[in-house]
Amino acid sequence: MIFPFVAGDYLLYLANLTGVLIIGALGLNILTGFTGQISLGHAAFVGVGAYAAAVGATRFGLPFFLAIPMGGAVACAAGTVVGVPSLRVKGLYLAIATLAAQVIFEWIFSNWDSVTGGIRGINVPPASLFGVALNTDFRIYYLIFAMVAMFTYFARNLFRTRVGRAFIAIRDRDISAELMGINLFRYKILSFMVSSFYAGVAGGVWVYFTKVVTPEYFPLSLSIQFLAIIVVGGLGSIQGTIFGAIFMTLVPELLKAGTESARAVFPDAMSYLFPMRDILFGAMIVGFLVFEPHGLAEMWHRTKRYFALWPFKN
Amino acid sequence: MGRMRGKGIFMGLLAVCVLLTAGAAFAAGDEIKIGACQPITGRFAFAGVNINAGLQDYINYANEMKLVKGKKLVYIYEDTGYDTDKAVATFKKIMAKDNPVIMYGESTGQGKAIAPELNSRYKVLYGSTSFSSELADPKNHPYSFVSGPTYSDMFGILLEYISKQAKGKARPKVAFFYSDTEFGKDPIPYARKRAKELGIDVAAEVVTKVGAVDVTTEVLTLKKAQPDYCIFQGYVLAPIPEVVRAAKDFGLKTTFMGVFWSVDKSIIDKLGADAEGYMGVNPYAYYYENAPGITAMRKYNERVHPNEKYRPNSYIQGWFTGMVFVEAINKVLAAKKPVTGDNLKDALAKIRNWDTGGISGRVTFVDNKAAVGRVYRANVKKGIFEPVSDWIYVK
Repeated sequence: MIFPFVAGDYLLYLANLTGVLIIGALGLNILTGFTGQISLGHAAFVGVGAYAAAVGATRFGLPFFLAIPMGGAVACAAGTVVGVPSLRVKGLYLAIATLAAQVIFEWIFSNWDSVTGGIRGINVPPASLFGVALNTDFRIYYLIFAMVAMFTYFARNLFRTRVGRAFIAIRDRDISAELMGINLFRYKILSFMVSSFYAGVAGGVWVYFTKVVTPEYFPLSLSIQFLAIIVVGGLGSIQGTIFGAIFMTLVPELLKAGTESARAVFPDAMSYLFPMRDILFGAMIVGFLVFEPHGLAEMWHRTKRYFALWPFKN
Repeated sequence: MGRMRGKGIFMGLLAVCVLLTAGAAFAAGDEIKIGACQPITGRFAFAGVNINAGLQDYINYANEMKLVKGKKLVYIYEDTGYDTDKAVATFKKIMAKDNPVIMYGESTGQGKAIAPELNSRYKVLYGSTSFSSELADPKNHPYSFVSGPTYSDMFGILLEYISKQAKGKARPKVAFFYSDTEFGKDPIPYARKRAKELGIDVAAEVVTKVGAVDVTTEVLTLKKAQPDYCIFQGYVLAPIPEVVRAAKDFGLKTTFMGVFWSVDKSIIDKLGADAEGYMGVNPYAYYYENAPGITAMRKYNERVHPNEKYRPNSYIQGWFTGMVFVEAINKVLAAKKPVTGDNLKDALAKIRNWDTGGISGRVTFVDNKAAVGRVYRANVKKGIFEPVSDWIYVK
């Protein structure tokens, strides 16, 4: 809560960006990490939510607390449709089906001019609460922080319910789940719905954060980034999702700060050092997958365990 | 224990931040800071590296030549990786750390994303790599400007040239060949309108994906329409060479044209003999031309970067943007006003008929852009583009 008072604009911006990524990635982790349904179209749902919220805010003049849920609801509807094939296809085939959704939605964003504003996109006025415009990183931080807290809480509790347990059962072995009386179709669709609702909300929050939405914000690479977040953080872990989002946002910036400081020593080496950063970041991700396949969440547990048992070896 | 260590790291970071800001505050005085978010890595790096080099070189050159009296220009740049979110973060980082009065941005997307805060909070003069018509809209983007003509203006220049060539002959037929992106579609509505006004028929419009490889169907469309000219927009290289070659194979007599990004010397190298007759519009002169401004640029490079024998158009774009910054700063200083973003923006809007030493035509900033360019044609034997028109001014 006191973070915004000590952090500058830059850190606040990164924190806000991380917050939006956390909400979106939580959605993907529910679908992929907990239910075992892979999706390569997550960015498209974030986009659907962003556009829906932007249209709600500009055309219908909705306040943000209605526009954001509207983003979630529209994305949820889109997710339901895309989720239908999930009963028939699994694994790689589902990945391709969701990839198609990504391509289709991207096309719609840039070509349905009358609604999405085409390639120019939509400019959105800042959210306002009791007459105070949330137009700075400082003010929007609290909105994003509250949303992250709310949706993390919901996700954590989801897996203590019958629905959440059903998701996990489907992931672990769908045939046994069906034998236990879990309606596969219903729960798979439900997982898609919850996941794309999260994505839509992330999109809605994101629109109020950047105040502009264009098709170029939701490329396939963003879907991949979401996948990377949950893989690095830990599949099927809420805590891991948060770690993953922080890692994926902060580490490139830290690496950049590192190369920036090297500039003082080697002013001419920048053209080599800048690309090195990407290589290093890629190598770190590969390193994670090799040495810690359960992600950052597992490392965190181990560290906690170590301190809890210290000075005894575990 | 873990918490203690975390606290230590946090305090350490805080101390570093405090030191950095304090250091920045002490250094101020006779310095004018120019910040830049440059796409040095990522998809746009092929141009970003050169734009950055051009801007940086010009600022060093201006300091050496004492072009800004009594002040030293300081150039602060960071890489963005051509990612809008990272670019906005970089913008905020540079503003928080160094608080420059001028910023340079990496893309159209960044310009749009930063606009609300640029107008309400930061209020600095903002130049960028973009030629998008949207950023040249003084109502929504009062602080930004385009370093030359917009894409619409470039189309206007080409269409005007085409209509002049056709004097007394039949109505010329053009085709627009563009990518399905903001970059590709930006000037098309204006181009359709302008063609109509000039009595030019738009015989075909071909839209492709950016990475299109197989262009046979597109070229068949052209073959059916038989345009006299075909203008590319929204590409850098691919698929231009493929289309030009395939059109030759099909026996088309069409003259192909490009705008700024696709009239670099590299396209002649890529096309070889097929480049003969390829034309385009460039807002700036080429590195090998003999205008005084270009000669000075070459001399500077021979001295400082003896290994660089050629500089592409994007380098000249960066250099030219540096010239615009310096011109605006000098105008503010001449009026004895403080160098602030607001004053710079007002000064820029007053630039009229400014002689750039032949790097560009005479520059007049109206609606945050300088709508001037020249039509060039490829000379394969010499491996260069040669001017076929004088500087053309459009509105």
